Amino acid sequence: MGTVVSIELADDLPASSLADLVASTCAWLHEVDARFSTYKDDSEVCRFRRGEIAFDDCSPDLRLVLNRCAELWMDTDGYFDAYAGGPLDPSGYVKGWSVEVASQRLALAGSRRHYIGAGGDIRMRGSGPGGRPWRVGVRHPWEADKFSWVLSLTDGAVATSGTYERGAHVFNPRTGTPASGLRSVTVVGPDLALADAYATAALAMGEAGLTWLAKRVADGYESAAVTDDGRAFTSPGLPIAAS
Amino acid sequence: MRRSTAAAVGTLTGAALILGVRLSVQPPDAPVAAPAPVAQEQDEPEAAPAPSATKKPSGKKSKAPAQDAPAEKEEAGLKSGTFKGKAVQNPYGTVQVTIKVGGGGKITAADATYPNNGFSGTINPNAVNKLSQATLKAQSADVDAVSGATFTSQSYVESLQAALDKAGA
Repeated sequence: MGTVVSIELADDLPASSLADLVASTCAWLHEVDARFSTYKDDSEVCRFRRGEIAFDDCSPDLRLVLNRCAELWMDTDGYFDAYAGGPLDPSGYVKGWSVEVASQRLALAGSRRHYIGAGGDIRMRGSGPGGRPWRVGVRHPWEADKFSWVLSLTDGAVATSGTYERGAHVFNPRTGTPASGLRSVTVVGPDLALADAYATAALAMGEAGLTWLAKRVADGYESAAVTDDGRAFTSPGLPIAAS
Repeated sequence: MRRSTAAAVGTLTGAALILGVRLSVQPPDAPVAAPAPVAQEQDEPEAAPAPSATKKPSGKKSKAPAQDAPAEKEEAGLKSGTFKGKAVQNPYGTVQVTIKVGGGGKITAADATYPNNGFSGTINPNAVNKLSQATLKAQSADVDAVSGATFTSQSYVESLQAALDKAGA
């Protein structure tokens, strides 16, 4: 997947414990890459894709990922589509899910305060440096060194999808054409895998995604979006940091 | 009350790459001034066409050197200074990563230049959707992390690796 992952532990733990926690987190992320990469012929995903293993013989993790992708396809009206590019590619779910699981594992292993960031998607837990909430900047879609919003949160996930960095990398699966209408979508909520998938789906929907995002608020997912012509929209509960 | 922090950067590519682990312990009441960077190494010709720099989440880790962090010794000994990775082209422009290595041999900052389309946003009040319309701000702020769309994967990793190689990782 080629994503750079940052891990910060803010726990007051012995240095050796912190180093162990970082090492086990990295080991998990490498394991995910080995098992779910679509670029590795011997990964479980590739073997499933070639029909060498049946669904029932897949690992519980892969079955979970495939089930979630199917649920998301329905929940997003088909706009989150693991088959959008042709063959199965669950990477759009796997990235957020693997970080979500990494954070759960850290919590179980004793880390109550940390963040993990993977390619602009972030999962944080507990309070940040100095005991205050984590401050997360949402990148401005035209000015790369500025933020459109600064968020403040303790537990939760922030995911952003945009057309500004990778050009037309998100496609509207209904038309097969590049997504247009929205330039940047940020979703904040309890689960990074869902936040990431929702942001991608809304981006693919275009401006209709604004209405769709508004409905996710009831499930605990707040959002912020910027249209191609520079209009900005936020849901009422977006945790904007006091300046 | 002391605070311990560990930060690491790795990649999800095949090669296991843990770029650095920083461990520091600092009494909150007695802040110590961070040391000025000693050596600035800038031996790479300016290849990027002056795109704007983006502050990465790890970019604000200027911190006093640990007074009593024994784990510092066992960390990878990077040379201190500033190291630029090579400028890597992707279809949308040039990505170039610069890392700063502090006195303890730790990466204290990683900044990258990104393609900049030079498009400027306009605020255009229009039909109200169910999300409320807000003013699009462009603010600078001190943050712990940045959320944004990324297409820096391969280019970023390549340039970052080059910067690390220079630092002697």
